[in-house]
Amino acid sequence: MVDLALFMFVVALLALSLRRPFLAVMAYLYVDILAPQKISWHLLASIPISLITFVAAFGLWAVADDKTDSRFSLRQGLLLVLLVYCGLTTLGADFPEAAADKWAWVWKALLFAIFLPLTLRTRLRIEATALFMVLSAGAIAITGGIKTALTGGGYGALTMFVAENSGLYEGSIISCVAIAIIPLILWLARYGTIYPPGPLVRVFAVALIFACLLIPVGTQARTGLLCIGMLGILMLRSVRHRFVYLGGAVALAMAAIPFLPASFTARMNTIENHQADQSASTRIAVWKWTLGYVQDHPFGGGFDAYRSNRLVIETRQVEGSGSHTDIETKTVTDQARAYHSSYFEMLGEQGWPGLALWLWLQLSGLWQMEKLRRRWGRRAAVEGAGPELQWQAPLANALQQAQLVYLIGGAFVGIAFQPFILMLIGMQCGLWTYLKRVDEPARTKRPAITGLQASSGA
Amino acid sequence: MVDLFALALSHALLALAAWRLVLRGDLDRDIDQGPPHG
Repeated sequence: MVDLALFMFVVALLALSLRRPFLAVMAYLYVDILAPQKISWHLLASIPISLITFVAAFGLWAVADDKTDSRFSLRQGLLLVLLVYCGLTTLGADFPEAAADKWAWVWKALLFAIFLPLTLRTRLRIEATALFMVLSAGAIAITGGIKTALTGGGYGALTMFVAENSGLYEGSIISCVAIAIIPLILWLARYGTIYPPGPLVRVFAVALIFACLLIPVGTQARTGLLCIGMLGILMLRSVRHRFVYLGGAVALAMAAIPFLPASFTARMNTIENHQADQSASTRIAVWKWTLGYVQDHPFGGGFDAYRSNRLVIETRQVEGSGSHTDIETKTVTDQARAYHSSYFEMLGEQGWPGLALWLWLQLSGLWQMEKLRRRWGRRAAVEGAGPELQWQAPLANALQQAQLVYLIGGAFVGIAFQPFILMLIGMQCGLWTYLKRVDEPARTKRPAITGLQASSGA
Repeated sequence: MVDLFALALSHALLALAAWRLVLRGDLDRDIDQGPPHG
């Protein structure tokens, strides 16, 4: 039954895209984020649905969509250079087969991030992209959130739709993504036009945010807690009443602590005492190994180059206090440990040029969103500014917050090429080029526009 | 049961959103943008 329903949903989406080609782009977003073929056991699982929607999105855009207003931005150029560069490092990878496996999905994610902004020609398309991303990832957050509320979850024990440990179904990754989408949920609830603001939308948004906040609890991913902390700090910048927000956040955190599972609190405590935790100590050892590796391989070792590492890790467990302190030291040998960090993933796999490109891509996104946030924020604050000037700055702010949450989460999880994050970058590029385009006449005819705003507000 | 609920709710919202997008004139061209290009 679920199998048939998911199949019919994708078929319906593709059928509608024959009338509106942009819906094929939404179909690809949905398939790439939720991976319904993993949930399905027969119909969708037996056909290459990801490839079909990929071809449909590109094909219908090429054949039937208007491309006059499409713009190619500098950051899309960076993505293209990164794509070519990764292709070259794959050719000379340390582990050709493993590298080819990763390349098989990375090129698609990068190409889609380059392509997506070309389709984002209207405000509604930008909103639709945010909505499809939020609802597709939200489906996983809803099931994970409810299960956490009912059972408490557990490290590696929380199953969301499928018993898989890849993509958004991996605990640390979904923890990071679930927190990153919270600013977008808030934006959609306030400025959405597909689902306009109202009591029902508000209730759903609050429930979805709550579910997202429960994901790091359910998966017991420490990264998620850091992401929540980061978002909490970032929110301080955009909330109207900072002291009320701060007081409310502290009160909420204090009230939530007694309800958190003991296993969660114990695991979070290992953030402070990383020397006693093998997982955390291994990360540091891998990062040190990567720094040594790129001294001999400045252009990186290609995808999955970490497989050549062999680590000797010493963990120290301190028990007791004062004069009765016992220190237990254990030496553990490990090998082929993944980077557990997007920054070191880029450095080890793509070398210094790859890391520089990736950082340029990320930092330029933060800068562009900041620029949009300030420019459109000023316009929205002008007396008499209409509703058509209110949504831009908050969306730039939400996309910046989402990216910053990712950048803090990505410090501890290897998600440098996570398709969901690349879609976020694509959306940033789309918003940037869209607002630049609609701004062009405004800049050349500023006095007239100012007059128009004043008269519309009168 | 929880999975079914999450799937049903999210897909119902996605389906309704897709349908609303099909009916919207401003999906392919901003309303205040003038005549379509090309």
